[in-house]
Amino acid sequence: MKLLWFHLMPYPELPEDFRQRASSVWVDIPSDLLDARVVADSYNLYLDQLEHADAVGFDGICVNEHHQNGYGLMPSPNLMAAALTRRTERAAIVVMGNSLALYNPPVRVAEEFAMLDCMSNGRLVAGFPVGTPMDTVFCYGQNPGTLRRKYHEAHDLIMRAWKEPEPFAFNGEFTQLRYVNPWPRPLQRPHPPVWIPGGGSIETWEWTAEMDYVYCYLSYFGYKLGKATMDGFWQRIEQLGYDDNPYRAGFLQFVGVADTDEEAMRLYKEPAEYFYGRCLHVNPGFADPPGYQSEATVRGKVQSMVAQAARSGGGPGGPLTWEDMVDKGYVIVGSPDTVREKLEEVATSLRVGHLMLLLQFGNMHPELVQQNTDLFADKVLPGLRGLWSDYEDRWWPEACA
Amino acid sequence: MAPRLIYLHGLAGGPELSPAVAGLTDIDVIAPVLPGFDGGPGFEPPSDHLGWLTLVWDALDATGALPCPVIGASVGGMLAAELAVLRPEAVTRLALLAPLGLFDADDPGEDPFAVPGPARLPLLFSSDVPTPFLESFPDREPAEQLVARFLVQVAAASLVWPFPDRGLAGRLHRLTAPTLLVWGEADRIAPVALAERWPADERVHVPGAGHMVEWDAPEQVGSALQKWVS
Repeated sequence: MKLLWFHLMPYPELPEDFRQRASSVWVDIPSDLLDARVVADSYNLYLDQLEHADAVGFDGICVNEHHQNGYGLMPSPNLMAAALTRRTERAAIVVMGNSLALYNPPVRVAEEFAMLDCMSNGRLVAGFPVGTPMDTVFCYGQNPGTLRRKYHEAHDLIMRAWKEPEPFAFNGEFTQLRYVNPWPRPLQRPHPPVWIPGGGSIETWEWTAEMDYVYCYLSYFGYKLGKATMDGFWQRIEQLGYDDNPYRAGFLQFVGVADTDEEAMRLYKEPAEYFYGRCLHVNPGFADPPGYQSEATVRGKVQSMVAQAARSGGGPGGPLTWEDMVDKGYVIVGSPDTVREKLEEVATSLRVGHLMLLLQFGNMHPELVQQNTDLFADKVLPGLRGLWSDYEDRWWPEACA
Repeated sequence: MAPRLIYLHGLAGGPELSPAVAGLTDIDVIAPVLPGFDGGPGFEPPSDHLGWLTLVWDALDATGALPCPVIGASVGGMLAAELAVLRPEAVTRLALLAPLGLFDADDPGEDPFAVPGPARLPLLFSSDVPTPFLESFPDREPAEQLVARFLVQVAAASLVWPFPDRGLAGRLHRLTAPTLLVWGEADRIAPVALAERWPADERVHVPGAGHMVEWDAPEQVGSALQKWVS
């Protein structure tokens, strides 16, 4: 199994009364809460942490793209990845990724990913997310009703740009270019491995399965809730007649390791509460603009909603407690043995070969990040790496094999 | 045969005519459902404004009513104004009820799509949301009613995202049809100050009425429309 160290790069100093002072951590988060000095220090610290993950043996290091977001300070993950190419040696650099519809023209992604692949000597994994509604339709003004068409067209353009040997004309609905001919091209031929991060939208994982790409379920709500989505993905793989290679899938998981279970419960409570309490304080009005979800997804949700309402008359309520986060598997904390056992359960129950670990989350103190990373590398990672050893990872940079 | 006019509904679709429009006398009202607003499956929104105008004009030409007077409400007002400026021969008189189409970045009003789904309709009215909008598509199964109402919102959002400005201000000098402009002074999504930027021969501002001014003030709007069409 591949174990990857994922950084969201959160702003670490959202105030305790953030939920009262801001209507949302995303899109219209108040700028008076931002101190650029804190961001400057955070960027350098966070890059150090990713470089350290490479040094202590994680298979990959991951960055991602968010806009106007208090828990994700990377509008441009490519800038961070570029910095990492120069200070890391071995780990795959996984950009999770570029929200294709936001790049105009989308050949910019083909160019910058080619640059990153060359700069890293072929260590790039190219992530192509649709992007969240907050990032795409509210921050970047994309039309929710046409976003996915634009995304797919951009994907097709980028893949052609990487594969076709001669300059070509591209006459799309959203992009028209007379001459497509990126220089440079990726070092990995015909192109870097393509991974598709998703939040559980049916249309995303169905398409990913059909394209034979890696589907990465980036949920903040743990493996227990992720099972239904991943089961759907694997059913689709089976319908398509593909093999059940677990490296077709990735999953994101919050993890905190300490010497004992009790110590872990004590150490990771504050950063988890910071993340779930402040970083996920998103105005619900930004979550579901009409058209972002396909008709099929909405129909599926409405039908289950109607059925659920008929059964129960309402859902559970109440604030999320630290105990809830642990019980529900949002956060896996414990001794190295406990964490290893639970992650093995995650990997086998979801059948994922790429486990993306958030070992820094919320406002976790840098010393605790290092302790968490080192304990994981020393005492958890070796026991997990052998999982899925019978399978070939066809979606991994050869330079990192 | 009685003279005819075309009525174009607003952002929330057209589950039925408002009393203000349904009560017009001595004229037949033709009210086509705008493309994408019928709650039917499989609608792919056009990717640009010209694509939308083509769909809408195909639908209007299919009524066989043009040239005739046109009433447009909200987003229907934007489309009616586009018709009047780009095909002036098609519109003999124009009535615009809180038309979208112009936007003031310094006074943007509320974003009707940046609120959770159930809060969207109430933003459009100053009074309670009328029953026809809450119970639209009554002949469908309950789950499909919800899907159809969602699809209406998809069409509306696609038509005006991120806000309803497709350069109409640069075309309004071509407006020649006699124009009535009606606006609710409590319009939360298209602030009444926008009314000053529209050319009009006659203006009616309705105190207390919201964006769906014809529903919030049926008697006042109905009276103004009757006078205008007579």
